[in-house]
Formats: sequence, C-alpha cells, structure tokens
Amino acid sequence: MKNIGIGLLLLGLFAAPAIAAKAKVVAASTESGSALKADDIKVEPFRDAKTVGSLSSGDKVEILSKDGGWLNVKSSKGSGWVRMLSIRKAGSGKATDNAGGLLALASGRAGTGKVVATTGIRGLSEEELKTAQFNAEQLTLAESYSVSSAQAQQFAAQGKLKARTMDYLQEGAK
Amino acid sequence: MKILFHSLFVLLMCGAFTTSSALDFGQQLRDKLKEQLPEKVRGVAEALGETSQADEIAIGRQIAGNLLGAAPLVNDAGLQQYVNRVGRWVANQSERPDLPWHFGVIESSDVNAFAAPGGYVFVTRGLYALLQNEAELAGVLAHEVGHVIRKHHLKILQKSRLLDIGSQALAKQVSNNDKVQKLIGSGAEITARSLDQNAEFEADRVAVVLTARAGYDAFGLPSVLQQIGHYAADDSNVTLLFKTHPHPDARLQKLDVAMGDRFDTVKGLTLAKRLYRVKP
Repeated sequence: MKNIGIGLLLLGLFAAPAIAAKAKVVAASTESGSALKADDIKVEPFRDAKTVGSLSSGDKVEILSKDGGWLNVKSSKGSGWVRMLSIRKAGSGKATDNAGGLLALASGRAGTGKVVATTGIRGLSEEELKTAQFNAEQLTLAESYSVSSAQAQQFAAQGKLKARTMDYLQEGAK
Repeated sequence: MKILFHSLFVLLMCGAFTTSSALDFGQQLRDKLKEQLPEKVRGVAEALGETSQADEIAIGRQIAGNLLGAAPLVNDAGLQQYVNRVGRWVANQSERPDLPWHFGVIESSDVNAFAAPGGYVFVTRGLYALLQNEAELAGVLAHEVGHVIRKHHLKILQKSRLLDIGSQALAKQVSNNDKVQKLIGSGAEITARSLDQNAEFEADRVAVVLTARAGYDAFGLPSVLQQIGHYAADDSNVTLLFKTHPHPDARLQKLDVAMGDRFDTVKGLTLAKRLYRVKP
C-alpha cells in the first residue's frame, strides 16, 4: 500500500515536471527565430537606445548574438537589438531524435536489467517510476555532496558573483 | 471505491501544484469533510493543514530516495559538487536559506528537473547537456527552488492525504456520500487541467528573481525555455506531458508580462567558462 502510494506520488511528480521536454540534438549553426509580437529594433541593447526599425509579429529574424535579455538580430526590417522575450527561437538545421537507448547505454543504465528503451527516447519510463525502490545508498551519496552556505558564498566570490536585492515579481506586473 | 480514489489521487498528482482557486477548493473540501467526518478524524484532517519542517524534509527525503532508485546520480563527483555550489548559492537568496538543500544530476536522457519538499532538487543529464552557461543552470535550479519554497508539492500531498482520510471515513461512516464524491471529482478534474500551470508560472517568476539576486544574468531560465520549447513541439513523446503543462512559449509570454522592463538594465554574469562539462 505504501509502495503504491509512493509510486503514484513519483508518477505525479514526473507527470508534472518543472521543465519538461524531450532532448533533440541540433546541428550547431546560426540560429533563426521569429517575432512573437511587434517590438522595436534598437541600435544598442538598451530600452532607451535609438530605434532603428520595428518587427511585426511573425517576422523572421536571424540571431547573431545575445546580451542579457537582448538578442542581436538581422531581419528584413533592419538589424539591431530586440528584447529576447519578443523572439521565438526556431530550430536551425534538422532536429533529430536523441537516441534514449544509446544514451542509456552510454550512461550505464542499460546494465541495470531494466527496460530502458522500449518507449523510444523516454529516459524514465512510467513503469520504472512506478516500481522505483528507495535507494538509501544513492540518497546518502547525494546528501554527501551538499555544501554549506559559507562554501556557496566562497564559490560565488570566486566567480565574482555579487548578491543584490530585488523584490519578487507579481503575476501581471509591468 | 479504492480504485476510484487511487485514480483521483493520480489525477491530483498529475495536475500537481496549487493556485488560488485550488486553495479555495481545498478549503471548500476541508469544510465539507469537516461537516461530515466524525470528531476523531476531523482532528487529523485539521492537523494536516500544517506540516512541520522536519516532516517536510522527511517527506522530501523519501521522494528523493525513490527518485534515485529509478534514476541514480550521474557518476561524476565533480559535477555533483558543482551543481550543489550553484544551487546552494541560489537557494541562499531565498527566504529559506536554512533548509538542508541538496542538488544533483541524475541519469536520464529526458529533459527534466524535479523538486521534492525540504530542499531536494534534481536535474536530468538530458537537461544538463542543453545548458550553455552557469546562469542557465542557476535559472533551472532556481525554478525548482521556487517549487520548494512555495511548497507546491507539499500542498498537493496535504490535499491527497486529506482525500485518503476522507475516503476511509466515508466508506465506514456515511452511506450518502454523493455530495463529497462529486466535489472531489470535479475538483480533481480542475487540478489535473490547470492547477500546475500557475504553480509553474509562479516558480518561473521566483526563478528569474533568485537568479538575478545571485548576481547572474536573469535570462538564464528564459534561454533554456526558448531552447526546449521549439524542439518539444513536434515530439509525440511529450504530447501528454504538454497536455497538462504550459508550453515553454506560454511560460515565456507570462514571464515577459511579469518581468516587463524591470530587467532591461539589470546586468548579470553568465559564467559560460565555469560551466562544468559533463562527459557524454
């Protein structure tokens, strides 16, 4: 009974992932995209920078580079900087399915005796989750990697990361 | 009867997460059950309203142990230590820096990330492999930290446990339970359809702020969403997943509205060079 409950719980967690999608491997080349909405093209990545053109929803762009929340784009409406969230990236090249079975093999999971590749590219099958057994050894190992607050602070300082204050966002706040 | 409640539980779990309407519904249900439950059970149901931090961690630990049973850690100590440093630094920016935070990368080709109550956060190898820089990792971890600090999973558990107690009590006590059953049924339906979406949007909003507070480029998470959004669209393997979840495009649009121009001048670091490269 308890096991069933836990299995269901896991199923739930997996069915409702924070970020969920399947891996695709894409040939690296120039990225393209299209405008999600009408927005200005700026000469520099700043709100107050001079506007050199404007995109209409659906306009195709070529993405050259990125700076924070801005993308440097080339389009028939002009070239310059557009707010990142106004652009939807399109795949460049042909997307191919990530071979889950091969990946599982490479990662050693195929040796566990569990069926890993029957559902194509799925990395974690529903069945696997349902029958998942508590792994105390792995959990202890996972917990052993934990770092203290002070260690994290030191790590941040090494990367020159500086903490700053900022309020949480409201749902529809502009 | 038992089967029915199990499937409701599954629906609830699949829907996961909470919204204001879910809370309202939970309250409605709680009130309804209170009316109909015997005195003793009523006390238990009320006690479920709050979970101590120790219980929260114990629940999360159990979930994490099971998850690791399904997909073990990637066998790379350097990687695991690295994600713990990044994750802890991000979690330190939240209002729950004192939780015993644990982060890990697990063996799965899925592109996914998970959070369990009490501070357990895992990303899959598949998702990690997509990351371009440390700010993106920070953004992904921050989204999961958001689920933990807003207790999204814990709230679902509390609700489902309440349902369990309700089923037992009702099976024993009440012959005329149509009302409650109806209430639960429609409620689970709502949960399965949309409740998770608002929790996801909320975790996204928390994530960009925590990422920025930590000194990173706040657009780490949006970058990852942009990347996975396109490739997922034509993949039949995520049809069901996306049916119950907001599409990355929808999440980006929500973030766009919520972020407005507040982040236009907030510059942060991406630390692309420091991103730990995992061996294939």
